[in-house]
Amino acid sequence: MSETLQATDDVEASSPAEAEAEPQSQSKTEDLLVQEGDIAGDYLERLLDLLDYDGDIDLDVESGRAVVSIDGGEDLSKLVGPRGNVLESLQELTRLAVQQETGVRSRLMLDIAQWRAGRRAELAELGRSTAEKVLASGERARLHPMTPFERKVVHDAVAAVAGVHSESEGEEPQRRVIIFPKP
Amino acid sequence: MSLLADALEHLVRGIVDHPDDVRVNLVTTRRGRTLEVHVHPDDLGKVIGRGGRTATALRTVMAGIGGRGVRVDVVDTDR
Repeated sequence: MSETLQATDDVEASSPAEAEAEPQSQSKTEDLLVQEGDIAGDYLERLLDLLDYDGDIDLDVESGRAVVSIDGGEDLSKLVGPRGNVLESLQELTRLAVQQETGVRSRLMLDIAQWRAGRRAELAELGRSTAEKVLASGERARLHPMTPFERKVVHDAVAAVAGVHSESEGEEPQRRVIIFPKP
Repeated sequence: MSLLADALEHLVRGIVDHPDDVRVNLVTTRRGRTLEVHVHPDDLGKVIGRGGRTATALRTVMAGIGGRGVRVDVVDTDR
């Protein structure tokens, strides 16, 4: 299951990207990514205004995707939610709002109050330390279920340790990372 | 309290083909508060999403903002 899963039947036929068979567009032009950020920024800024939450919105383009970061007051923790579940939902809605205007599926990443940055550090440490244990014991290890974002961070951390490898197993939302010793 | 309705209305308007047809009403009954979402019939699929994914995302965001006791109903006006 793709992390950007979304029904696209109703998208205007005017978009050339819709004709592409590959759902994962290779390298979107910088212009389109900047435009994605602008649309997302407007959508989220209006939300913050309506809720009267303090927040500064920062737009960037990193490794082929638009990145939108919101930092500011304590209210923002409500937009992150337990284990980031509100953040994931808001990211999904923001992607839809972008697609509504551009006609192209978006892989935009939303971060709020540095949550992803903090979570990334935690998960990288979890991946690294578990990989070390697997290496020492020779026994595989199964981690708890994670989102696609979380699994990717763990896979990257495991890949940096020689003598082990990792795979994902199971169906969303129960999909989890397994770390194996190399034979 | 209409703050919640305004926020939801904005979130929905951004993802549909007919934003002017979006209406969100806050209805209070004995069972609690419900945000009723009305959209153009052609936009129902967009607001619900594949497997209910988009409606779930809207509910999750509203729960984060408004606390737990608020329900979100997408009203099927095409009946």
